[in-house]
Amino acid sequence: MNQQEQFTELYNQYATGIKKLCLGYTNDEALAKDLLQETFISVWNNMKNFRAEAKWSTWIYRIAVNTCLGYLRKKKPVIVDMEHNDFIPPAEVQTTIEEDVQLLYKSISCLAETDRFIISLVLEDLPYEEIAAISGITENNLRVKIYRIKKQLTEIYNSYERL
Amino acid sequence: MKDFDSLKSMYQQPSSSGVVMQADTIDKISLNTKRKMKKQQLGGTIMLTLTAIFIAALAIFGNFNFSKWYTYAAMGLICLICLAQAAFMYSIYRKLDSINDTDTPAVHLQQWEQYYEMRKQQNKWNMPLYYILLNVAMGIYLLEIFTGRPALYVGIFLAVYAAWMIYAYFYLGKRTKAKEEKRLNDIISDLKSIELQLNDPQ
Repeated sequence: MNQQEQFTELYNQYATGIKKLCLGYTNDEALAKDLLQETFISVWNNMKNFRAEAKWSTWIYRIAVNTCLGYLRKKKPVIVDMEHNDFIPPAEVQTTIEEDVQLLYKSISCLAETDRFIISLVLEDLPYEEIAAISGITENNLRVKIYRIKKQLTEIYNSYERL
Repeated sequence: MKDFDSLKSMYQQPSSSGVVMQADTIDKISLNTKRKMKKQQLGGTIMLTLTAIFIAALAIFGNFNFSKWYTYAAMGLICLICLAQAAFMYSIYRKLDSINDTDTPAVHLQQWEQYYEMRKQQNKWNMPLYYILLNVAMGIYLLEIFTGRPALYVGIFLAVYAAWMIYAYFYLGKRTKAKEEKRLNDIISDLKSIELQLNDPQ
């Protein structure tokens, strides 16, 4: 399999998941597309350096996370602090499933930067072991974080939905 | 009220947001800072190298017939300064190139932090040194050019040149430097805050 074929296969396999991760980061369709594209440009450029020590998915998601964190350096995110209750969601009526999904992305984008990628990977159903390898966080720390982020995300989502 | 599992099944279902472009369309203009920064440094390297070559060609083939050796030495010095600055910009390009996008986020963030810290230090000495050396070389070059010219002409030229240099260095330069320093400090502090998030066990 040559590089182009390999790349196309990887793209077909992971692009949808990466796009969702990017959407959770930005809550912006156009930016998410840019970040997706940026991730795969980086995948293409680094493919020759890939060592079989890691799985392709771990490697690609790590590039995606680094790309998203790079974007966030330029645009300061709005982080919601649920404990201090300063979160004021807009009054929108959500009716369809598609709108529910959009609301979910919006809720993810309200989390702290690193929490966004962790929870997106959990939502994508990646094993904790792999999320730990992607993020470079120990599995024990990750479990503690995930417990907290799940709770926070559910609260944010339900706050939005109530309105 | 939805629980986390409901959110997960919602996330995993196919939606219009999940529709992505084709693999073969991935080669367009990107918003990537790293690539833009690399391009900027490489562009600067090429421009300065071409400038040095142009000045060297003028000195060699220009038939200026300068009578003083130091006028040619000044042209040579300008070439060297341009080449040194080009080498400096190329080293920044290499540094950017060495940032590995496939490392763990913590390591990746640290690499960027190191890069920005390095740039912050370099900003303190690079531009002042470049300006001083370039002006010294220009001063030597102008010695012969101005010999025998009317004092008024020389005076006006020097006044305009000095005024521009003072304006460029003390106003534009300082302002740009302050802005750049603020930008670098903001980026470094953002990187530190993301690193803290990663390292925080909670």
